[in-house]
Amino acid sequence: MAALIGVFGDIDVAEDAVQEAFAVALRKWPGDGLPPNPGGWITTTARNRAIDRLRRESRGRELLSEVGLFSPGNEDSGTSEEMGPVQDDRLRLMFTCCHPALSTAAQVALTLRLLGGLSTKEVARSFLVAEPAMAQRLARAKRKIKAARIPYRVPEEHELPDRLRPVLAVVYLVYNAGLSSPAEPSLCSEGSGWHGSWRRSCPTSQRWLACWRCCS
Amino acid sequence: MTQYLLSVHSVEGEGRDPMTEEEMRQFMERVGVLEEEMKSAGAWLFGGALHEPDTATVVRMSGGEVLTTDGPFAESKEHLGGFYIIEAEDIDAALAWASKTTAAVSKPIEVRPFRHVSEA
Repeated sequence: MAALIGVFGDIDVAEDAVQEAFAVALRKWPGDGLPPNPGGWITTTARNRAIDRLRRESRGRELLSEVGLFSPGNEDSGTSEEMGPVQDDRLRLMFTCCHPALSTAAQVALTLRLLGGLSTKEVARSFLVAEPAMAQRLARAKRKIKAARIPYRVPEEHELPDRLRPVLAVVYLVYNAGLSSPAEPSLCSEGSGWHGSWRRSCPTSQRWLACWRCCS
Repeated sequence: MTQYLLSVHSVEGEGRDPMTEEEMRQFMERVGVLEEEMKSAGAWLFGGALHEPDTATVVRMSGGEVLTTDGPFAESKEHLGGFYIIEAEDIDAALAWASKTTAAVSKPIEVRPFRHVSEA
C-alpha cells in the first residue's frame, strides 16, 4: 500500500489497486503456485492495474502525467519484478497519516487501516464505534489529505521534533489498544514492529527510547 | 501548487481594549513585513483587511427575486477580519505562512484549500 501511495500520491487509487491485485492472486495462485516474491508480485500487479484503469479515465490520465507514468517507455511487461525497498514508503505513509492537520482520532484510524492493514470493521471495533461511522471518518480523512495537499514525505530535520510527537502518540495508542482489547492482540505486535522500524530509521531521537520503554 | 485561503477570525467583545497608537504602528509594521515576505517568495496572490461586519450587505435569492439585507451574513460573535489568498506547494508550506500570519496579527487563522478547476 505504502509503495503504491508513493507512486500515485492518491490513497483511493492505491487501495482499489491493492484490492484488485489480491483478487487476481486468489484466482491465479492456487493454480500457478506462489510466486518467489509474493509481496513484490502484489505490488507490481496492483501498480499495472492502476495504470491501466487510470489510462481509461480522463482525470486518471491527468494524474498519470503528473506522476510521470503516462509514457510508453514506462511499460512493464513482467509481473514478478521487485518494486524496491518499502521501508521508506512506510515511513512516509506513517508521517502522512499522523500529520497535525488531522485529528488524533483520524490519525490513529488511518494508521490502523493503511499501515496496520486492518479492515474498516476491525478499526471500528478497536474504537468501539459502528462501522459506517468509522467508514465516514476514514473517508473524511482521506478527502482532507487529497484536498488540502497533505504531502507524502518524511519531514525535514528541523520539522522532526514536532512531527515525531503525533507519530509516537499513535504508536503508543495502537500498542495500548492491543493490550486492552483481547480481540486485537496483533495490535501490540504492530505497534512494537512499527516502533522498531522507526527506531532504526531515526536512531538519534531520545523520544523513541522513552516510547520503547513504555511499549516493552 | 495549490491555492489556499488564509482567513483571519475575530470574536466580538473578546475583552481586549482598542489598540494604542503605538500598538497599531507595530501591528502595521508586522503585517507589512509579512506581506513583503509573502510577495518576495511568490506566495502572495491577494489579500487585505476588511471593514467591520456592520458595513456588510447580503444579497440573496428569495421567492425568485433578489433580496438585499443590511449587516453580515452570519449573526454571530465571530466574524471575518481579513484574508490572504496564497499559492503554496502543499499544506505544510501553507501552514508555515499561516503560522507567521497568526504571529503577526494575534488572531486565529483558518487555512482552507481552493478546489482545482478540474475538481469543480
